[in-house]
Amino acid sequence: MARTRTTKTVAQRIDLNYFKRPTPFKRAKLWLAILAPAIALVWIGWHVLGRDNRVYSSGRLSEAHAVLEKECAACHVQQAGGYSAAAADSACLACHDGPVHHATNVSVKLACAECHVEHRRRVNLAATKNESCAQCHGDLSPAGRDSKYFKHIRTFADGHPEFAALRSAAGTSASDSGTIKLNHALHLRLIRRGPSGPMVQLDCSHCHRTTASQSMDWPYGDARYAAAAPTYNGKDEFREVNSRGLTARTPASGRELIAPPKFANACAGCHLLTFDTRFDEGVPHDIPQVIHEYLVRRFAKYIATHPAELREAQNPLRNLAGRENRPATRSVSGAQWVAERVAVSEELLWHKTCAQCHAVSASTLQDVRIARWDTGKSSDQKSPSVSLAVLELAATERLLPEIANANITLQWLPHSRFDHDAHRGFSCSGCHQNALTSTETSDILIPGIATCQKCHAEGSDRAESRCFECHTYHDWAKRKEAKPTFTLPALRSTGK
Amino acid sequence: MLIDRTQRGWGLASLGIFAAALVMYFLEVSISPQGPRGGSAIGLIFGVLGFGFMIFAAALGARKRVPTWRVGRAKAWMRGHLWLGLLSLPLILFHGGFHFGGTLTRVLMWLLIVTVASGVYGALLQNFIPKKMTADIPLETIYDEISHVRGLLREEADRAVESICGDVGLAKDVSGKIQRAGGFTALRPIAASAAPLRTSAAVSAGASAAVAPAAEIILLSETESAPLRKFYIEEMRPFLEQSKSRGSLLADEARASSIFTGLRTLLPAAAHNTSSDLEDICDEARQLLRQERLHRWLHGWLLLHIPLSLALILLGAVHAVMALRY
Repeated sequence: MARTRTTKTVAQRIDLNYFKRPTPFKRAKLWLAILAPAIALVWIGWHVLGRDNRVYSSGRLSEAHAVLEKECAACHVQQAGGYSAAAADSACLACHDGPVHHATNVSVKLACAECHVEHRRRVNLAATKNESCAQCHGDLSPAGRDSKYFKHIRTFADGHPEFAALRSAAGTSASDSGTIKLNHALHLRLIRRGPSGPMVQLDCSHCHRTTASQSMDWPYGDARYAAAAPTYNGKDEFREVNSRGLTARTPASGRELIAPPKFANACAGCHLLTFDTRFDEGVPHDIPQVIHEYLVRRFAKYIATHPAELREAQNPLRNLAGRENRPATRSVSGAQWVAERVAVSEELLWHKTCAQCHAVSASTLQDVRIARWDTGKSSDQKSPSVSLAVLELAATERLLPEIANANITLQWLPHSRFDHDAHRGFSCSGCHQNALTSTETSDILIPGIATCQKCHAEGSDRAESRCFECHTYHDWAKRKEAKPTFTLPALRSTGK
Repeated sequence: MLIDRTQRGWGLASLGIFAAALVMYFLEVSISPQGPRGGSAIGLIFGVLGFGFMIFAAALGARKRVPTWRVGRAKAWMRGHLWLGLLSLPLILFHGGFHFGGTLTRVLMWLLIVTVASGVYGALLQNFIPKKMTADIPLETIYDEISHVRGLLREEADRAVESICGDVGLAKDVSGKIQRAGGFTALRPIAASAAPLRTSAAVSAGASAAVAPAAEIILLSETESAPLRKFYIEEMRPFLEQSKSRGSLLADEARASSIFTGLRTLLPAAAHNTSSDLEDICDEARQLLRQERLHRWLHGWLLLHIPLSLALILLGAVHAVMALRY
């Protein structure tokens, strides 16, 4: 017969007290409910007994403060029996100073922790957020209506103006005030080295290098010029800068900025300062007075060993048609010979060699008759063939020209830091594209902000673009030394 | 608990709290240069609210343990547990500004995430597994009694087989002296043999078997009963004894049906009723196995949810005290 199943019979199978019996599932639930909090309690108790407060920390400390990881009280100083929730400024200043920033213009006093937020893992504490700077620079209007700074800068991409050096002012385009005549486009083409030298292709590093790289070999330099100590100084060479940024915390390595090119390193290999066919060497690269003295000294020394040259026979081939006949020979004194040669050399130098690169002013042309065969004088005449007055004048400084100050700009972005060394993997022309086509000295060849923003932008695949990357907040020139607070090895065990 | 229209009030209130918290969070983001922090005024509000919701959610356990407490309806507690517990996660994320912080806070955050995730998982399962159970397992019984009922089924099957095959030395009483539902202190077999007893219980239940005429008791010969004996000892009894169905041919309904059809062709007609009873017992045992499996799905997540939530409350309290101290 078939099996039957009724409510009654089914109910009979059930134990009325089944819920009182622990099942494996109930037992597991109970034990786990006891075990999990117990484990948590043991874990916390372990840290309490070990006096290890790191477990309560809201995050790991920055690299600089990693050694204080266990020492909460070092920053959270005790106040009224308890600990301050926020790190006190006094705790920060006990170890290191934080000089003020534009003391006269800062309208709000910020606590250290407002910008330098700790417990955010092993981050660089100096890498502050843009928002910290934008608290003021996002709207500078209330702070200073007459401020020369842009009033609404929030990020590098939002409100940051074009670099000051490249900004046009009063309708005129920005220009380089340097006076050295240099055609970049010409120098970056295939050019001949000297009048009869080989063809060469220059690249940027043949002339431009960082300060720390100056000692390396210069392919187009001249060791003699490099060894010489010129009398001109930085004031003659470099532009005076009125506006400077805040002093950085770390000293410069010398690899950040490109040093201004030196004649001895970059030019002397091609631009020879030769002045007379009798000599291979050129004049010193120096001020006119030094050059004049050098020429006088050099010719005097020469004529002392070559007296025969005081009597000179005319070269008939150089007798131009239509000119009056000149004497066949002429003799001059040593002083006169030196004066003549110096005058001729200086004429060449002031009006051609030097003027090729420098702005040479107040230089009058010498009497063209100098050192030439004068008319109406007998061949045996011992007197000078040129006016003595002219020679005397030539020997004085009054006739020496003035070379304009080079006025080279040492730092184009004085309110920020730029590190060429950090960009050494990139070709110069990638950023300084204008150099390839620039023909004028007045062209400013630093790249604009748009070039920087190609890489320095927000996003994980872009370079750092926060304010601190280029600017500094604290004026480290006003830094004060702090008294030592911690002692090793005591710090590792007690904290003090 | 079903997520249905009755939850609308709680759902809307939770959504409102979440929206308000979101507005407050973005307000803090906009006014804090360094981003939201747990120690700021708004951050502390988020922390207190989030931890408060966690404590409320955890109090459900206490409320269940002491059902006599007259503090709100159980349904309201359950809804509060569900929605406020869920809200605690975004509130705590806002509290930490989506930073997991240090060791303790990181542990707390992961405990919270796992607890809330397991709770959501459990709530979702409770929305469709009970329905599936009702549909698929008509012979469902109390979960805690499944192993015992399976023993009774085995006994019943043993008796059915021995009734036509003779003593095979299998029957064992698993009932014991326990208080049973239905007013009996000892188990009465549902269909202990081919000749059922006319018990008062059977009569009052109106079971057809109880009023049916007694059937003729037939004992099969050794040769006739051999296929049944072999099948029962090698296949069916192991299936009834083991608590896991894996590997057994009888665990699959279609295959079991096919096996029993084949068995009936080998047995004389007089044994077909017993064979049908055995098939019926197998079907019930199979359903109980399925119920066990579904029950594990339905409640297994609690093994994670409850212990972790208790650890969370404990460590959360430590965090609250120490964070206010530093």
